[in-house]
Amino acid sequence: MSFASIVDWDALLTVVWASIAAGIGVTAAYGFVILGTTRAVDLSREGRVGEAVLFGVVGAAGIVTVFAAIVFGIVVLSE
Amino acid sequence: MEGELLTVIIVVATALAFDFTNGFHDTANVVATSISTRAMAPRIAVGYAAVLNFVGAFISLQVAATVASDVVDPGSITLLVVFGGLVGAIAWNLITWYFGLPSSSSHALIGGIVGAMLVAEGPDAIFFGEGIVGKVMVPALVAPTLAFIVGGVSILVLYRIVGRLRPGPVSGGFRGGQVVSGGLLALAHGTNDAQKTMGVIALALVAYGSLPAGDPTPPFWVVVSAAAAIALGTYAGGWRIIKTMGSRIHKMDSAQGFAAQGAGAAVILASSHGGFPLSTTHTISGAVIGSGAAKRLSAVRWGVAGNIVAAWVLTLPAAAGIGALTYGVTRIFGTGAAGPVIVSIAILAGSFVLFTKRAQQSVGAPAASEA
Repeated sequence: MSFASIVDWDALLTVVWASIAAGIGVTAAYGFVILGTTRAVDLSREGRVGEAVLFGVVGAAGIVTVFAAIVFGIVVLSE
Repeated sequence: MEGELLTVIIVVATALAFDFTNGFHDTANVVATSISTRAMAPRIAVGYAAVLNFVGAFISLQVAATVASDVVDPGSITLLVVFGGLVGAIAWNLITWYFGLPSSSSHALIGGIVGAMLVAEGPDAIFFGEGIVGKVMVPALVAPTLAFIVGGVSILVLYRIVGRLRPGPVSGGFRGGQVVSGGLLALAHGTNDAQKTMGVIALALVAYGSLPAGDPTPPFWVVVSAAAAIALGTYAGGWRIIKTMGSRIHKMDSAQGFAAQGAGAAVILASSHGGFPLSTTHTISGAVIGSGAAKRLSAVRWGVAGNIVAAWVLTLPAAAGIGALTYGVTRIFGTGAAGPVIVSIAILAGSFVLFTKRAQQSVGAPAASEA
């Protein structure tokens, strides 16, 4: 029995890509939450409402992505 | 049959005791980053981790299935083999705790079972290829490396996104994020580690005859008791950490803490889904080292990282040796409950001596295993 055949490479590759996608993806999405909210607050204080709204949307999209990813992950795990 | 019933009760109690010590040992891994970055107050962090460890144990049974079916032949398992394996794991955990060596409870458990089975039934009863190598050793190499890479890349991406913002809101934002990432890490820990105990209890129930060897799915009471034991261990372990954490946890910023927790949780949860019983200690360590190394290589205590690798290499064979020895000693007293009772008393006495000695040595000097 060869080394290549005793390892479930499909399952292991799934672990690798899922970890990279979830780990880096969710972290980056949360980074955009902080970027969006911080810039939205700063710009609204400067009276630049249009840009503030745009960054607010970025922040909101980030938070939706984070929670959607977590819910999706838990649903997949519990199946 | 009464003797067997007593033996299975001792084995299940020993497995739950192991689960408790697993939670006790690993509390630091789960809550350290949240506490050190002041994302959460210590008492809240520990209670929160205990609750999510409990919840995590209910999410999946893939790892339990691997431990119960793919490591050793469930058709050849006996109660004394399971008992020998558990004692091997507990003894190795106590020895490494005493000497302050970082070790994996998961690898100790698998090593102990394999060692006892090897002596009891010979190599044919052990699934070395697809089981030990394919489901334990290769993932044991891949997971910490993957967590290191994911933790490192995550922090670089984060610094790229938020690097030009004012530090105050960024720090506050990541502290808030750590409530979520720390919770996910605790959930992941409960999912992977509690399931190993469920798998071992399932093996004991197969040996006792109350579960079929062909489908050793743990019954619900096993899931609940394993979840409760790891959660209680997490809660109990945390209080000791609270007293001494100031001198033990290395400093990291909240973004690094968030990235490390996120990476660790992602790798452990994905591995749990794949049914890989990996070392959560090593995976979280890999993520923490990765998030530190990506910022500055010299920020990482490479000596500590080397010790982790050394203990990791030693754990499987050492726990296997103790498991084999325990099985041999237990077997001297026959196949009934006498052997497990005598060995349990000896282990309790040995643990008491070790705890007393360690307590005397560590007055004013915190134990390294909690760091």
